[in-house]
Amino acid sequence: MDKFIDKLPGFVDTIKSFQETIITNIVLIGQVPAPTFKEKKRTSVFMERLAEFQVDECTTDGYRNPIGIIKGTSESKPPIFVVAHLDTIFSQDVDHYYSIQENSITGAGILDNSVGVGVLVSLPEILRKLGLRFESDIVLAGVIQSLGKGNLRGIRHLLKTWATPIRGAVCIEGAELGRLNYYADGMIRCEVDCDISPVDGWEHKFKPNAILVLNEVINQIMKLRLPQKPRSRVIVGKTSGGVKHGTIAHNATLGFEIQSNSDKMVKSIFNNIKDIIEGTRHEYEVDLQLKTLSNIHAERLKFNHPLVKSSVAVMKKLDITPVSGPSESELSIFLSRKIPAVTLGITQGENYHQQNASVAIEPIPKGIAQVIGVIMAIDSGVCDEHQLD
Amino acid sequence: MNISWIEKNTFHYSEFSDLSRLVDEKQRKNLKISLCLPTLNEEKTIAKEILIMKSELMTRYPILDEIVVVDSDSIDNTRKIARGYGADVYNAAEILPDLEKFKGKGENLWKALFVTKGDIIVYLDADIKNIHHRFAYGLLGPLILFDNIKYVKAFYDRPISIGKSKIRPTGGGRVTELVIRPLFSLFFPELTQILQPLSGEYAGYRELFETIPFPIGYGVETSMILDIYEKWGLDVFAQVDLDRRIHRNQDTRALGRMSFAILQTFIKRKIKLGMVDYKEKLYNEMIQYNLIKDEFKPDIYKIEEHERPPMIEIPEYREKFKRIS
Repeated sequence: MDKFIDKLPGFVDTIKSFQETIITNIVLIGQVPAPTFKEKKRTSVFMERLAEFQVDECTTDGYRNPIGIIKGTSESKPPIFVVAHLDTIFSQDVDHYYSIQENSITGAGILDNSVGVGVLVSLPEILRKLGLRFESDIVLAGVIQSLGKGNLRGIRHLLKTWATPIRGAVCIEGAELGRLNYYADGMIRCEVDCDISPVDGWEHKFKPNAILVLNEVINQIMKLRLPQKPRSRVIVGKTSGGVKHGTIAHNATLGFEIQSNSDKMVKSIFNNIKDIIEGTRHEYEVDLQLKTLSNIHAERLKFNHPLVKSSVAVMKKLDITPVSGPSESELSIFLSRKIPAVTLGITQGENYHQQNASVAIEPIPKGIAQVIGVIMAIDSGVCDEHQLD
Repeated sequence: MNISWIEKNTFHYSEFSDLSRLVDEKQRKNLKISLCLPTLNEEKTIAKEILIMKSELMTRYPILDEIVVVDSDSIDNTRKIARGYGADVYNAAEILPDLEKFKGKGENLWKALFVTKGDIIVYLDADIKNIHHRFAYGLLGPLILFDNIKYVKAFYDRPISIGKSKIRPTGGGRVTELVIRPLFSLFFPELTQILQPLSGEYAGYRELFETIPFPIGYGVETSMILDIYEKWGLDVFAQVDLDRRIHRNQDTRALGRMSFAILQTFIKRKIKLGMVDYKEKLYNEMIQYNLIKDEFKPDIYKIEEHERPPMIEIPEYREKFKRIS
């Protein structure tokens, strides 16, 4: 492994010489809106660009995930997957046109995940410029329907229907450079809808307010005693409701996630919240529905898994300080199928999920060298003997 | 009237997306091609234009030989950013410095003739939010592939950007429809086939550009069409559908001033061509009124369309490019 790891700092300069085309890919793909479930246009541009860079095979799977394959030298080694999700949280009518400054790119979805997707599409040409060939096929997949209600459907389908074993995987995210995710928390993503009939009935002396009902639900959730071990939390991440300032809200929605490194604890908290919803529904005589949008099991690589150790070595060689944490992204689906995988970030950014999100250009070549280093580690066999337990 | 022109000489950019073919043909004809971006405070969009053009049409496919920015004394970081991304950057005032100084897009386009080296020059506005390399190769396609075509104009489905983050799907081209099209219909019906005569993106051979005068301001697109039409006829023109162009919206008052300048140019051309005999003085002030409290107060804008002579008449140019006047 030391042989290839020593080459990594030298890769950064070669990648830098190709930076204009990498940024062009980031911009041309990222400027095409791709809200979850409406990724078709971005998929087309992704495929066009991949084909332009003469990837050996360019196709879509049965679920319309676009895929490019760089053929490896070995007939027998299973493929290595490199994935980035195509969808963004922004709707189609949001301005997606990016602005480039001296050392930054700014615009909706640039961090999550235009940088990741642009880098993915650039990989065939970067590998060619670096003169790298791998034993394994490299499967470059831009997966759709990842975020929110998408519930990682794209990657789930891709892996479910992939016919051969998979050697290992790297998931690419725009930020932050230094992230090293090798475990996924158990997670249930839920939405609570509160609907109150606008017609006055005999049940209510005073008509309830949907926002205040959900506020009561939040208060009850906050009262739950959550353990520190297993590490657990409930994140209230989204609310919406009402029509105007002076009118009682008839509809409101609350979105939250239960996260824990124990599946059992996730289930237990979910049941508690279900009881809270039931109780509030009766107490307020309102229509209160709990919907489960997504459910992920807790999975992990051990911290001493060779893929984790190699990734740390790659990052350190490039003077990147690794920071580990859980990730609920494509990583969890690889791990749940016992495929060793890590998630890496490409660069630094700010205003993560805002329309004015921005990324630094200068660290991008180093972030890409790191991804290539980890692909080389997998190709050298670090995952072959240590499949997940 | 030659109405078959629109069928023969109207293209879609996708007809020229085989970039290897354009490179081969460019090399076979031994052509040099320059991209010129005239700028005034375009720090938000200039880097993206340069970067995409450089990546796609210089590094990956050697179609462009140079990217030149000619700037009108921007007070933002336009020049610094453009230089940082590898364009050759000039301040318009410093090109041919002995001449009287003017400020305007037409001035920058005219001076670009002196600093660029190309046989073909592509002019693109620098404020295109959805810039894509099709804007350049779409315009270049007919010039490289067809010997009779010498000048190509872009046309679009042009949405305009409203507010900070919303895009409206239709609109734009108001001056074209309300000013230029009626004028062309009245005086040059053949030219109505040019769908968007005011589009800021066009390309052509140096041999044409150097022999026509350039108004320094808004009138440059109109005069260019009239002069090329007058000298070479409609058959040297082509127009290319470049799909969508997202640009900044301008308010009606600004468009009014633009229309004034265009009308000024148009009428001067008509007089020059002997098509009208106008005996009275043309005024050079556009007057617009504001209601301030209870009083109507005029806003008076002096709009004088100075005109640069054909570049070939400039001795320094003739010497540099070994031309005979």
